[in-house]
Amino acid sequence: MSVAAPRLHAAAARPAAGTLAGFGLSVRFILRRNWLRLLIWAAVLAIMIPIVYTSQQEAFPTQASRNAYANVANMPAIAAMTGLPYAAGSLGGILVIKIWMTLAVALGLASVFLVTRNGRADEEAGRTELLRGSALGRHAFSLANYVVAGGLSVVTGLLISLLALSDGLPAAGSWVLGGSIAGVGLAFVGIAALCGQVSSTSRGANSLGVAVLAVFYLIRAMADVNAHDTNVTALSWLSPIGWGQNMRSYAQDTWWPFLALLALAAAGSALALRIETRRDLGLGLLPARRGPARATAFLSSPLGLSLRLQRATLVSWLAGAVIAGLFFGSVAKAMTTVLDPSNTFAKAFLGGSHDMLNGILGTFVLFNAMLAGAFAVQSLSGARAEESGGRLESQLAGSLARTRWLGAHAAVAAVGSAVMLLLGGWLTGVSSDGAATGPAMAWASFAYWPAVLLMLGVLLFLHGYLPRLSVSLTWAVYGLSVVVAMFGPLFSLSENAIKATPFGAVPRMPAEDFAFLPLLVLTAVAVVLAAFGIRRFTTRDIVPE
Amino acid sequence: MSPDIPAIEVSGLRKRFGQATALDGLDLRVDQGTVAGFLGPNGSGKSTTIRILLGLLRSDGGSATLLGGDPWRNAVELHRRLAYVPGEVSLWPNLTGGQAIDILSRLRGGVDNAKRDELLERFELDPTKKARSYSKGNRQKVALVAGLASNAELLVLDEPTSGLDPLMEEVFTDCIREVKSQGRSVLLSSHIFAEVEKLCDTVTIIREGQTVESGRLDELRHLHRTTVSVVLDRDASVLASVPGVNDLVAEGLKATFTVGEAELGGVLAALSAYSPRQLVSSPPSLEDLFLRHYGGVTKGAGAAPAQVAGAR
Repeated sequence: MSVAAPRLHAAAARPAAGTLAGFGLSVRFILRRNWLRLLIWAAVLAIMIPIVYTSQQEAFPTQASRNAYANVANMPAIAAMTGLPYAAGSLGGILVIKIWMTLAVALGLASVFLVTRNGRADEEAGRTELLRGSALGRHAFSLANYVVAGGLSVVTGLLISLLALSDGLPAAGSWVLGGSIAGVGLAFVGIAALCGQVSSTSRGANSLGVAVLAVFYLIRAMADVNAHDTNVTALSWLSPIGWGQNMRSYAQDTWWPFLALLALAAAGSALALRIETRRDLGLGLLPARRGPARATAFLSSPLGLSLRLQRATLVSWLAGAVIAGLFFGSVAKAMTTVLDPSNTFAKAFLGGSHDMLNGILGTFVLFNAMLAGAFAVQSLSGARAEESGGRLESQLAGSLARTRWLGAHAAVAAVGSAVMLLLGGWLTGVSSDGAATGPAMAWASFAYWPAVLLMLGVLLFLHGYLPRLSVSLTWAVYGLSVVVAMFGPLFSLSENAIKATPFGAVPRMPAEDFAFLPLLVLTAVAVVLAAFGIRRFTTRDIVPE
Repeated sequence: MSPDIPAIEVSGLRKRFGQATALDGLDLRVDQGTVAGFLGPNGSGKSTTIRILLGLLRSDGGSATLLGGDPWRNAVELHRRLAYVPGEVSLWPNLTGGQAIDILSRLRGGVDNAKRDELLERFELDPTKKARSYSKGNRQKVALVAGLASNAELLVLDEPTSGLDPLMEEVFTDCIREVKSQGRSVLLSSHIFAEVEKLCDTVTIIREGQTVESGRLDELRHLHRTTVSVVLDRDASVLASVPGVNDLVAEGLKATFTVGEAELGGVLAALSAYSPRQLVSSPPSLEDLFLRHYGGVTKGAGAAPAQVAGAR
């Protein structure tokens, strides 16, 4: 981790030496508090390289198949999501298309969260005051924070390069691959350092950092969509993510944008330290946001409160459903030319359908259903969070029946997931360039609602009988159901076994014909589970954590 | 409601959490129009009793009546007539204090806007701040404003001043006196004797889930022994001969002893003969009270049921 230290250190060491007293101690302290977190980030991100590389090797085994892919890879949807494909004819180039953007954005987020966690969050909780009270220079802890976060980027980048090399990819490109991802991570250390000085709450600092990242992501998306062939527009240079992309590993292998990323990291950190000298401990440049002094009548109703508490969840999942729907629709036709029907993976992916296009659409519908199911479980676990957080007691001490309170939370989860299914499905159809119609896909997607309701039934049942374990057990049930529905054939599960699981039971339209009975059975089981759970909830003790 | 029905009547109440016994035959009575103190060390079962009275927990035995109804079965109707202030207040971090006050008040039945605004001013609470940024004291104020702004017949307060500074405690005391003057009933749980003494008509003292003493406060004066520490101009053991001095510990010029209320005047007169250089008198803490009156040291296990019960 010390690799990053000299660079950042040189940039920010202008303040008097006394302000850095205790720097080494601070670094060790932060490492001690975060080592597991750092290790997990680095390991999870780096391990994606061999995993994705292996799967792409299987998907595109011959140069001919890669050439075929190169002819279709440069689609607006791909360019918008994962960046402009510039070398889709080589395995290295395909690896970049599949994973570079995910890793760069994830490392950027890691930088934001880490810097906030050890910076503004500590200050907000008063821990910084405790440290500053001892013989610690004013900038020692902040600089140590930036250096450790930067260290994560450097180590992750090195691991990525080494793993790419060990997969036998070209050396020059492998070093640029790791360097470009690390560079984006480092740039966001500088940005997060500034956010931590500007906002006075850790939540504000994180939101600001994520918002900046989102804006930079969108700028480069616009640049990549408007690219001519494989030449990006000038817009790409307005985003640090774009700088990283323009290093073009496994093609031109350009190093100089890396210097720009480093400069951003250094400048951001240095400016943050300067602001830190000028402001009081605990304050930020932006004041804490205020809110309304009164609650509306709607917010005071159980349904209104539940909706308000779920607002962020609802909005982000709906946005996810919209993006996913549009993406699925726009790549459906192209995928028929890419997938090799004799490949085992492809067969599993298509659920054994004979018609390639319908198989792909059916699979996308299943993806939509998984998203809606995850939303539903997350949304309804908000009810348990109210109970474990001690906020339910105050509500029930008012004139509120337990069934009405739980009903409001269940309604938000159930109706919200129905909207997600319809919207995601409809958009898949609309954007599919004639492969399917909007209403048909909305209907195919909505057929999964009983399976989603079953997840809610499981959660309600467990919420009644095993409240403390209810959320984690439901996620386990959800995870198993999804894995079986998606990859069941790969594990040589029989079709009947798959059909006996929640997501497997639903007819995967348009690949399969509509069938009423499984939906009826799923709904009935869901209702019975929910009824038992709600009944038990009305007769059990309220158990906060 | 007929005036002779008590606001709260609990007898022989039992509650177990797994292996741990939280309540073991507890009795409690709050008459209408009175302020009742509910006193016990941390973990003695106060919060568990209150949770049963609010229909959040189900009792395992004994009986509990709240405003003439069954606190478990008639919870929804009964809660229109009562206001509850918990000791540890959890709020929605992304809503403001003002929003939380409205939500909690409207769940009970409605907000008295004038009263709400007056209380906000008296407690010096900014309702436009997000609850995330509130200190423990400010979260407590949110619950107090929501509870006190109601016109509920019965106020159930579970250690409501635990996060307040002394000035705000004074405001709280005034508010409770107003409630009492309006003929409403209050159950005030606390582990601080002085707070209960200031406000309450009756006191119920519990330990390890059982009622050990209850009655009008003035009848319980025998519990109230003052501890006195003095430094005299001579060997302090001379105090042993002064009538009314109990539990004397003398060491050189210093001495500590206890004295009952009735004997205080006589003891002070006798003390003046020894020209005391220093004199500190302190009312008994609840811990002293238990040590002296209820069989010495409370069992170490006394805290265990409370943790299981999630009591504060």
